[in-house]
Parts: sequence; structure tokens; C-alpha cells
Amino acid sequence: MTRARFGGLAWVAATVAAMAFAVIPLAWMLLTSLKTNREITQDTSLVPEALTSANYVSLFSGREFGAYLTNSIIVTAASVAIALALGTMAAYVLARFRLWAGMHRYVGFSLLMVRLLPPIVIIIPIFLVAQQLGLLNTRLSLIVIYAAFNVTIVVWMMESFFREIPVDLEEAAMVDGDTRFTAFRRIVLPLAAPGLVATGIFTVITTYNEFLFALVLTSTPGAETMPVGAATLIGRINVDWGAMSAAGVIGALPIVVFSFFVQKHLVRGLTMGAVK
Amino acid sequence: MATAMTPGAPARTLRGSGVDRALPYLMLGPALFLVLGVIVYPLIDGLRSSTGFFRFGRQVRSVGLDNYRQAFADPVFLESLITTARFVVLAVTIETLLGLGLALLVAREGRYIRRIRATLILPMIVTPVVVGIVFRLIYASDVGLLASIAHAVGLDPPQILSSGSGAFWGLVFLDVWEWTPLLFLILLAGIQSMPVEPFEAARVDGAGTWRTFVDHTLPLLRPTILVAVSLRAIDALTTFDQVYVLTRGGPGTSTQLISLYGYQTFFQFQQVGYAAAMLFMVAIIVLIGAGFALALMRRQPR
Repeated sequence: MTRARFGGLAWVAATVAAMAFAVIPLAWMLLTSLKTNREITQDTSLVPEALTSANYVSLFSGREFGAYLTNSIIVTAASVAIALALGTMAAYVLARFRLWAGMHRYVGFSLLMVRLLPPIVIIIPIFLVAQQLGLLNTRLSLIVIYAAFNVTIVVWMMESFFREIPVDLEEAAMVDGDTRFTAFRRIVLPLAAPGLVATGIFTVITTYNEFLFALVLTSTPGAETMPVGAATLIGRINVDWGAMSAAGVIGALPIVVFSFFVQKHLVRGLTMGAVK
Repeated sequence: MATAMTPGAPARTLRGSGVDRALPYLMLGPALFLVLGVIVYPLIDGLRSSTGFFRFGRQVRSVGLDNYRQAFADPVFLESLITTARFVVLAVTIETLLGLGLALLVAREGRYIRRIRATLILPMIVTPVVVGIVFRLIYASDVGLLASIAHAVGLDPPQILSSGSGAFWGLVFLDVWEWTPLLFLILLAGIQSMPVEPFEAARVDGAGTWRTFVDHTLPLLRPTILVAVSLRAIDALTTFDQVYVLTRGGPGTSTQLISLYGYQTFFQFQQVGYAAAMLFMVAIIVLIGAGFALALMRRQPR
């Protein structure tokens, strides 16, 4: 009895400590962003005396954070939508059909190898090609690149979902007069909805957070995304700590809010994205 | 007539004619085209430029494997390889141990458990660039959280980013904070899919918590741990965003990870061919690791 109660207390203590470890660094950034620069640099107090929104105002008035946010949303939404559409169809084919020259056997595996390839490996040729095509500083270049990387993830995740759906359902629909494609759209897709949700969550998070391609391919507010915008605020010598921490908060906010709304499916989406 | 849906084996050939026969290729084509054009073609292009000598972004002549030879004679390249290896080994080891602990901690049902898990994975959701900012705000010797805490208890502020070993360990700690949740998630999924029988038997036999862990949990979890460790290690090998924001490789070359050095070789020093060759060697290391991870995943029953 006493031992069980002690165990319960120890569990609570450990869990609270772990959560504090996860949250405190973020809370410190939030707190810093609400201080005046004078207070940040001159007082080393843990708790601010007066709160200010000046750091946030400066991000949207003097700097281009409105534009970064718009770019990030457009680029993420477009590339994830394209990847889900193309990748879902491809995954369905790989899960269901025998293809010419045994393609169904190695295409999925090859796509996975491509997915595991670190993006930095192709950053140089991508930059050179984008330069030649005049696509530097465009949202289009980011959309196309992110869509391609996301397709590899979508195919890999969705293929296993489609395999779990019994093929008899489609055949029954086809007996009833559906074509192959309508059977896919009407019967299979709705059944694979949980997979689509998990895949969508995973790709939205990784795409929004992407930094390397955006850093290399964009350098004007017309195309720069949130991570690039936040990173450019970091000077080498003089650091505007207030603006930097506000930029960190604003930079992470959209994806944290998104995660909050999809909470219920978040853990599954992230786990599947990692191991599937 | 039902067909067994074994993973890895496609279902029966579906009959049909006309559009139905072309359908699989029409549905597969766009995705393949996109990946081939945007990832595979640049990859081959990059392989070609790794054997070239460039001036003003144009290839002037081919130099064969000289760029690769240059890398092995370049002390900065070798040093950054070693720094990267140390970083990966230290960070992934700590993450695995902490992740396993966390997974065991919350592998139970109860009120709030979903909230608790969602809070614990917050660090891996936050934008990596922002994670870099967060840790600048923790380590800064004048305005940082650690400096403020030191001040509050009457100590001198710690100098983390200004010393080589301090910055390196600061980077390791950042990675531990950000990616322990990933190990935790994968291991939690592994724990939740373990069979219950061995544990019930162990309880009947009166085995203690520690014995049960060593005799049953660890062996059952071993394949999952291996997969999680290889996946994380592959990713950690090309860590870029966080170190770009936190230290830019400094002070000196103490946090110069290989991806950052490759990036600088291209964008600051304009050595296109050499940078491509360096990054290709990284790709080969990663693909060997990836092949290893995939072999493990295929063997793992799921």
C-alpha cells in the first residue's frame, strides 16, 4: 500500500519533470519575447517586470513576417496537396497491381531509398538547375521540390494502408458496375482516410519546418518561408534578442497550433511517418 | 474467392481492358515522373559535377576523381567527419536511453495520458531553426536562461558558446532535447505492440520489475531499438538547421558538422565540384546506414 503510493508519487514526479524539460526552453523564449530589450540585456531577472508586445509589432511592421507566413502556408498547402494526390494513386497501384517488368516489386523500395537520402546531397544540383531555369526566389520551386520529397513519404505510408483494405470490397463494387477508378475513389479512399490523415499531418509538419532548400533557393520576402525569415534575424555580432525570440515564437506558432488541432492523430501520424 | 493479403506480395492481377489496363500506369506515372525529375535527375547531375572543376558556377573541365582525393587530404573535411561522428554517437546514445525511459514511463493508460504524450513530443514538432533560437536564448552568456539562473543563485554565468567543448556539448544537448521524443515515440509503439503473455507469466512467477525488464522487455524491444537508432542516426548525420543557427560551426571548427562544411564550401567558397564530391561521400555513408536500417525493418514482423 505505502509502496504503491510511493510508486505513484515517483511516477507523477518523473512525468512532471519530463514535461517541464520539454516545455521550459520554449517558455523561456516566449517570456523573453515579451520583455523590452532593455530588460533583456540589463536585468538578468527570471520574471519580467513589464510585458510588451513591441517585439511582435516590429516583426510585422518593420519586417516581412506577414509575407513569410503567407509563403509558408501556400508552399506547405500546395506541396502537401500535390503529394497526397499523386502519392495516394501511386501507392494504390503498388499495393494492388502486378506491373510490367516487376515494377511493383522495386518501385516502392526505390522510393524509400530516395526518401532516406539526405536533401543536402542534392542541394547543389537543385540550386544550379533552379538558377538556369530562372526559378530562384519563387514559391513554385519550393512547391515542386517539397512535393517530390513528400510523394516518397506518401507512397511509403499509404501503400501499407491500402494493403490492409480487403480487395473484395472493390471487386464487389466493380461487379455492381463501378469502373476500377470509381471503385478506388468511392470505396478504397474513404477506408484509407485514417492513413491520409496521418500522412497529411506528418508531411505538413516536415514541410513547414524545412529550412535548407528554402535558405538556398530564396532570398527575398516574395518567396522566403518562415524558418528562413526567423533565421535571417540572427545577426552575427549584434543580436536583437527581443526580435529574435519573438521571431522564434511566431515561426513555431503555426505548426504548434496545427499540431494542437490534430492532437488526436498526432502521435500516430508522427510514429508512422518515422517507421513506416 | 479471397486472396491472402500478405505484405510484400501484391494482390492478384486485376483483369480489365482498355482504360482499365492502362490505369495503373496512369496512376503511377505522375508520382514517378515528379520524383525522377526533381530528385533522381539532380542526384545524377550532382554526381557528374563532383568530377568537375568549376569557375563562376560553370564547369570548366573534368578532373576525374581529384575532388574526392582532395577531400581525404583536407584536414577540415576529416575533422568535420570526426566531429559529426562524435556528435551522432553521443546524441543518439543519450536519446535512446532517455527515450526508452520515457516510453516505459508513459506506456500505461489513464487520464491525461494522451495530453502527457502530446506535451512530451512538442520539441520534435517545433521548427528546427526555432530550436536553434531557443538554445541561443538558453546558452547566451549575457541574456541566457542559464546565465539568469546562475545569477539568481549567485554564480558566474557559464560560458557555453564561447568555448569549443562547451559549444559542442551545447549542440549535443540541443539535439537530445529535440529528438529524444522521436526515440520515445518509436519505442512506445514498440512497447505497445509487445505480446502480453510473457509478462503475465513473469508476474505469476513472481519476477521483479527489473528482471522482467531485462528478461522480457529488452529482448522483445531489441529490433525496434535497432530500427529507431538507425533512423535517428541517419538523420543526425546531416544535421544542419540547428547548428547553422546556434553556432555556424564555431567557435573555430568545434561544431563544424559535415553538412555545414559542404554547404559553406559551395555557397561561401564557391567550390562546386569539391562540395558535390564531399556531399556524395556523405550520401554513400547514409545509404549504407539506410540499407542496414531497411534490412532490419524487413526482418521485423509487424
